[in-house]
Amino acid sequence: MELEAGNQACSYIIQSQEEEIKRVALELHESINQNLYTMQTGLNFIEAGIENQELKSYAKEMAGLMERTIREVRLLSVELYPNTLSTLGLVSAMKSYSKLFTNTFGILIDVHSSGEEKLLSDQKSMAAFRVCQEALINIAKYADTDHAKIEFTWGEISVRIDIKDAGKGFDANEVMESGSANGIAAMRERLRLVGGQCDLSSELDKGTTVSINLPIQ
Amino acid sequence: MKSLKDLVLTECDSLKQRVPCDFVGIALQNRHDPDITWPYAMGNRNEKYKYITVRYGKGIAGKVISSGTPMEITGFPENILGKITDYPIMLAEKLVAAYSVPLVWNGLPKGALLIGYRHARQFDEQEKQKLREVARNLESFLPSHFTDE
Ligand SMILES: Nc1ncnc2c1ncn2[C@@H]1O[C@H](COP(=O)(O)OP(=O)(O)OP(=O)(O)O)[C@@H](O)[C@H]1O
Ligand SMILES: [Mg+2]
Repeated sequence: MELEAGNQACSYIIQSQEEEIKRVALELHESINQNLYTMQTGLNFIEAGIENQELKSYAKEMAGLMERTIREVRLLSVELYPNTLSTLGLVSAMKSYSKLFTNTFGILIDVHSSGEEKLLSDQKSMAAFRVCQEALINIAKYADTDHAKIEFTWGEISVRIDIKDAGKGFDANEVMESGSANGIAAMRERLRLVGGQCDLSSELDKGTTVSINLPIQ
Repeated sequence: MKSLKDLVLTECDSLKQRVPCDFVGIALQNRHDPDITWPYAMGNRNEKYKYITVRYGKGIAGKVISSGTPMEITGFPENILGKITDYPIMLAEKLVAAYSVPLVWNGLPKGALLIGYRHARQFDEQEKQKLREVARNLESFLPSHFTDE
């Protein structure tokens, strides 16, 4: 009984956190960036009307800075919350995150999906997305490889997701026992709370695979 | 006629002779947007640098370019500002120490020259001076990167 209450509290904390992140991301993207965009257009307009060369180049510099800031805010917003997740689905959101990941770390990600993609609840797709994200970041930090693979296998009642690298691998038992695997433990917990399962297998010099199993309903 | 790439790599090569290091990389801002890439590298362990796009103000190169000042890391990942994932070139090349100086074109910092080591170390004034000299030489090649000839 107590365990059940603990689980519910955990789910609740994660969900409110996700909603808060989403709110900030949408605020950045919609309201703040829209205003910045209006200001940039205004600056360009003012610049065009200025005769004084010094002031003109100053206005141009400001417009340039505004443009950079708009890009920054847009990327920050996407980084916080993948807005394509609820509209285009998990595979599509993972593909666009993978592009961002390649641009950041130089590691190529091959995203593959087989079977017909099914609609997942927001909570489930968010959990799966965050776990994939964690697994990819671990690859960038530790695997020492220049490519990795994400495979989605869609069944009638569940989806399986494998994140595989052929990097340097590690002794999973040793790491888990040493208590320095909070990230991996959190991935497991996160999926368990939405009724799924997350397993990790790794072999030295062969690589690591994180496997997710998630019921669709 | 030597190509721009040959000229730059020759310069990097002589830098490696004068200041023995494991890695030399040159990051440059794109011509038409503020993003930064690593078009030239030496001593690289893999091809990751070719796919990395650094955002203005982010990572070592992005910070050196946006601030116009050198940056030094002596024992990655200890004592760094931010997360280790904020330093993609250090992760990609397994660097532990690095020193980077800006490359200036038309009065503005437009690129960064970086030397890296796969072990912890400090940088002395003489090495920093040499790196600045090489940066001045490299800057003479920048016009052909940023303008049509
Ligand atoms: N893909 C991988 N390749 C090699 N080693 C890995 C991989 N993923 C995880 N590891 C090893 O497992 C350890 C634990 O990973 P975990 O994600 O739990 O922690 P972390 O990434 O170090 O910290 P955090 O995720 O909390 O930021 C790592 O320190 C690393 O040694
Ligand atoms: Mg981790």
